[in-house]
Amino acid sequence: MTTTATVTQESGDARRASTHATDEARELAGSHILCEALVREGVELLYGYPGGAIMPFYDALPAYPRLHHVLVRHEQAAAHAADGYARATGKVGVCVATSGPGATNLVTGLATAYMDSTPVVAITGQVGRPFIGRDAFQETDVLGLTLPITKHNFLVRRVEELADVVHEAFQLARSGRPGPVLIDVPKDVQFAKTVYRPAASVRSIELYRATRVPQPAPEAIQQAARLIAQARRPVIMSGHGVILSNAYSELRALAEKTNIPVITTLLGLSAFPVDHPLFLGMPGMHGPAFVNRAIGVTDLIIGVGLRFDDRVTGKVSEFAPQAQIIHIDIDPSELNKVKPAIVPILADAKAALAALAEAVEPGDHREWLSELRQWEAEEQERARRLSRPVPYPTPTDILDAIYEVTDGEAIVVSDVGQHQMWTARFYKWTHPNSHITSGGLGTMGFALPAAMGVKMGRPEATVWVVAGDGGFQMNIQELATLRDEGVEIKVAIMNNGYLGMVRQWQEFFHQRNYSETPISSPDYVKLAEAYGLTGMRVERREEVQAAVQKAMQTPGTVIIDFAIEAEANVYPMVPPGAAITDMIIESE
Amino acid sequence: MGLNMTEQAVISARAGQADIPPGSARLYTLVLLVDDRQGAIDRVVNVLRRRRANMRTLVVGPSEEAGVARVTVVVDDAEVGVEHLSEQLRKIVDVRQVLLFPAGQAIERELALVKVSCTTANRREIIELGQHFGAQAVDLAPETLTLQVTGRGEQVEQLLERLQPYGIRELARSGCLAIARDE
Repeated sequence: MTTTATVTQESGDARRASTHATDEARELAGSHILCEALVREGVELLYGYPGGAIMPFYDALPAYPRLHHVLVRHEQAAAHAADGYARATGKVGVCVATSGPGATNLVTGLATAYMDSTPVVAITGQVGRPFIGRDAFQETDVLGLTLPITKHNFLVRRVEELADVVHEAFQLARSGRPGPVLIDVPKDVQFAKTVYRPAASVRSIELYRATRVPQPAPEAIQQAARLIAQARRPVIMSGHGVILSNAYSELRALAEKTNIPVITTLLGLSAFPVDHPLFLGMPGMHGPAFVNRAIGVTDLIIGVGLRFDDRVTGKVSEFAPQAQIIHIDIDPSELNKVKPAIVPILADAKAALAALAEAVEPGDHREWLSELRQWEAEEQERARRLSRPVPYPTPTDILDAIYEVTDGEAIVVSDVGQHQMWTARFYKWTHPNSHITSGGLGTMGFALPAAMGVKMGRPEATVWVVAGDGGFQMNIQELATLRDEGVEIKVAIMNNGYLGMVRQWQEFFHQRNYSETPISSPDYVKLAEAYGLTGMRVERREEVQAAVQKAMQTPGTVIIDFAIEAEANVYPMVPPGAAITDMIIESE
Repeated sequence: MGLNMTEQAVISARAGQADIPPGSARLYTLVLLVDDRQGAIDRVVNVLRRRRANMRTLVVGPSEEAGVARVTVVVDDAEVGVEHLSEQLRKIVDVRQVLLFPAGQAIERELALVKVSCTTANRREIIELGQHFGAQAVDLAPETLTLQVTGRGEQVEQLLERLQPYGIRELARSGCLAIARDE
């Protein structure tokens, strides 16, 4: 997906499929050129919100019926929806906003996409060129604001360069390590006319180093294969890069040929089926203890498309103290950033995994695996011992019900907090790219708008949102957009009346000083009704399954407000800054 | 395109930034060729700031190619840190090339303009002192004279030290420029 060759082909298809783009030169206004260029890029969906400086674009938009514009209720949601669309489809998501507050509202969404390497193009209106730098009404330095949270950004200075900039932005967003790109278009550039020549407007940007997709160095692959052959307790650690490069079958081929168990990071979840005999789990702060224990004793980590984030490593100096590391990444600045790799492989995950799977000898790690399964069984046995009968729905009840009722076919979009960790840990991820969440930035309010993008990008899929009562209220206004668009999403709110993860930290590290963490909710049943949607409230665990079933049978977006235990914790937990083998576990 | 041996060696030589041993910082000169587009220099400076580079000097000027700016940065950092910084800079779309030199490896020059207090009695003495360092007097006034000196950073430092007793009224230093030595 991230290869240059595929990109060219996609653009080609888009060009052929376009009803508007023709090859004849015509004089057009910037606003129309913008639409033409979007059509040529194959864009079908845009999430946006009009305003003064972007009005010429909105004036042109109705002439391009292929560009379906979704009017969100807040620009932040536009960025998250574009991000969700991109994550679910692998295509570039597009969001649009006006200058000033419109653009600043996009910032959180762009930072979210940047941290998780997702391809998004943001288009913002800017005040007219004569007003730039003069503190005009609704003027902000959008270029300056988004500099550190975009892969690249453009201020279009002349209408003549507009089409090139749009194509360059799309190319940058999806190539190499993907990321968000912003195009700031002054209002007078949108009005200005020039001769638009579609055929001439794909500028070569071969200079851009990150667009090249390096092939894995054969000597590095050979060296890696030798290390794999010698390792006694190896693990594969698979990250978001495996999902971004569609390398599921290559990952599976490598794991199965070598019989090496697979750990997936939060954003790597669903790249490898949870029910596979080689699957271990998620590492780090809220990973199962046996997974972190495995990292504590492993002698070889084959890390693919992950960046050894601090939530994964805990205290870096004590992370995998006995391991040599083979690190595959498409971004050279990630190699050796956190942990030195004995074999760094600069390559797309798909190509590197394929080469590695080819180069390795079949392996057998029965002893290592049975040791790991023994640890896992002990941990599960302990969890069973500690579980007590409760009357209210538990996170696992809710997640199991969603899995069962949807036959495991749903895409689950989680928000940020305790429910996110429960979802990551306890949902049975069996389909590639069925787990979507804000990992790097940890943006509360992500799930609802992102799920809208997921569903609109993959209309055939069942999409469930799992959110907390805090995060859900952060972009709750998008219920109106879902209703307008007739987009069908099912929402499970794990409602504990707290900002639960913060409360958990307060419990563990701040002597239970629950400062500003209790939080109220509206009546979600009435709220859903007010938005023209359906709401349910579930307070008893025996009602969970039926409620989930009913939600699936009810057309349109449905919200289920699950009243869960108020002070449940996510166990185990590595305290921040501690070694990952030093976990807080539930006390007996 | 596979990695060439140098790139592979560079990546292999780099260790984790998190494990930088204390006291291993030294001076490095980074030379960047940057497409002179809107925000390009901002992006370079932003990466230097965000990656916590300890910047000594930063010089921006034209290069041999129209539309390409040459940025010369002297940073004080450990080798592993500066290698990682180079990779981060290479990721900037506008950056065409990043060259990294340990201090003294490239040809490095700096220009300084020094306005020194003087009297009719010591003016000649100061000019002669400057001449020892290859400095020229570029402005003469009744109570001051301005010397222009070019050289390696430490040569400039030495002259400044010698001028200190006369009283340095104003000092303008260009920061370091560098160009690779040919074999």
